[in-house]
This record gives sequence, C-alpha cells and structure tokens, in this order.
Amino acid sequence: MQTFISLSVAVLAVAAHAALVTASSDTPSRALLVAQAQPEQQEEFTPIDQLPPQEQLPAAPLLVGAYAFVLLMLFGYLFIVSRRLTVIQREVGRLEGELKRTGRT
Amino acid sequence: MPRWFQPALIVCALMFGLSPLVIANAPYESTMGLVQKIFYFHMPAAWMFLGASVVCGIASARFLATGDPRHDRLALAAGEMAVLFGLLTLVTGPLWARKAWGTWWVWDARITSSLVGWMIAWAYLILRQYGGPGSEKLAAGLALFGMANVPFIYVSVNYWRTIHPATTVVPRLPFSMGFPLLFCVAAFLLLMVLLIKLRVRVAEEQARLDAIYLSLEDHL
Repeated sequence: MQTFISLSVAVLAVAAHAALVTASSDTPSRALLVAQAQPEQQEEFTPIDQLPPQEQLPAAPLLVGAYAFVLLMLFGYLFIVSRRLTVIQREVGRLEGELKRTGRT
Repeated sequence: MPRWFQPALIVCALMFGLSPLVIANAPYESTMGLVQKIFYFHMPAAWMFLGASVVCGIASARFLATGDPRHDRLALAAGEMAVLFGLLTLVTGPLWARKAWGTWWVWDARITSSLVGWMIAWAYLILRQYGGPGSEKLAAGLALFGMANVPFIYVSVNYWRTIHPATTVVPRLPFSMGFPLLFCVAAFLLLMVLLIKLRVRVAEEQARLDAIYLSLEDHL
C-alpha cells in the first residue's frame, strides 16, 4: 500500500507539471502581452475553419509527458519493490541468525 | 530470484531503451499526427491492465477453490499490476485525447468501464490491506468481478457509440505501425512478468518473516 501512496504522490507531481506545461503553451506570458501594441477595435467577427498553427495546442509536451510518466512509474515501482524485498530479506536473515544463536528453531 | 531474472531484466531495459527509436521511425497517422504516437505505450499498458485483471481473477478463483496461499500471492501481485498498468492507461489516454479529441475525458462505455475496472483493482488492494483476518477471501471474490469486467471493456467500443478507436484498428495496422506496437507489447509483457515475479517473491519473504515473528512470540 505504501508503494501506491508513493506512486500516487509521483502521479500528482507529474500531472501538475503536465498541466503547467500545457497551460504555459496555451497562454502567452504577461511580458509578451505588455510588449504587444494595443489591438484595434473590432467591428465584426470573421469565422475560420481551422485554428492558425500558432494557436493550436502543441502535441510534443503531451507526447513527451506521456512517455516520461510511463517510464517513471514502471521503473519507480520496480525500484520500490526491489528495495522492499532487500529490507525484508535482511530482516529475515537477522531474525534467523538470532534464533540460531539462542538455540531456538 | 531465479537465474533468468537478471538477464531478462537487462533485455527488458534494452527494449525500453530502444522503444523511442522504434516509435520515432513509425509513420505519423493521417488525422492525429504526432500525438497518435502515444498509442505505442497507451495500448500495451491497456492490454497489460486487462491481462493483469484476468490473472488476478483466475488466481483468486484457484485460491478460493484450493486455499493454496501461492495462488493468493499471485493474485495479490497481479492486482498491483492491474492498478499500476490501469493508472498508466488512464493517464496516457487523456493526454492523447486532449489533442486528438479536444477534451481530456469522455464518459463513453470504454473509458468509463476501464475506470470502473481500475477502481475494482484498487478496492481489491484496499480490502487486502485493511480488511483484517479473512479479507483475502473477500478480496478474491471482488477480483472475480474485476475479471468479469474485462470482456466488457474490450468489446464496448464495438457496441456503444464512442469516438474511441474500434478494436478493428490493431488487426488492420500496416507493418510500419504494427511492428512498433508489437515491440512495445513485448517490452511491457516482459516487464509485467518480471514485476509479478518480484512482487510474489516479496509476498513469500513477508510470509516467512511473519512465521518467524510468530515462532518468536510462541517462545516468549
């Protein structure tokens, strides 16, 4: 269960990072907004079929985020379970040694 | 651990190391473009999630029938795999959907039933952890429901209206897309087998440790 609590914390961290990356790619920075000249007043709206390329959500952060998340979780879990096995085996060895030393089986 | 474990782990690490190259060489899909390449990790993770749910259910049924703790340990290991791979599926799917469909989540039959299957796997583990004595048999019953949900998850895209790709996509993949998928499925499968083996070993050692503590208590 502790394994999954640790993994859940990692999930939240990665999800928060992905959300920040996506949000930062969606909205221009405050400095950029200030630097831009004030736009002219619009008198009508003109519809278009597709968003211009600079307005579209980039795929790369989502793709990289997905792969990084999978690799982090899989090998993180492997590492945590391996460490848990080492700790238990050490404890078993210690107790068995103690039982032998005191003559109990 | 058995002799084959470390060489198999090295092979698995090499496969995961090579997978970005194999995936990068796969062609782009015509309508979704770059983001469709999440498929090569999303699909194997989903298959492992379903496979682990089935292994958990079968091992639980055998545990209920025989009472053999070895089946129970396998069921526990597979239950953890179902949670792990289910999480990977449910996180990579929305990352793909956000770009391809314009939304993080859709309450269609496939995604909702996958979420239910994942929550059943979580419930199985929580019951095992906090259910007290005898909870392994109650949890085994729950695992059977988790297994029964698997065929429903698989065929749901063919019977209910959804924008999720149909099951016909994989058999119709061209070799240039099918090979990377099979490569990733092999890597995920090998890793899942290794993780199950490792997790079963942890459960065996834990049982040994508990037996030693009981024996010490008896002597006091």
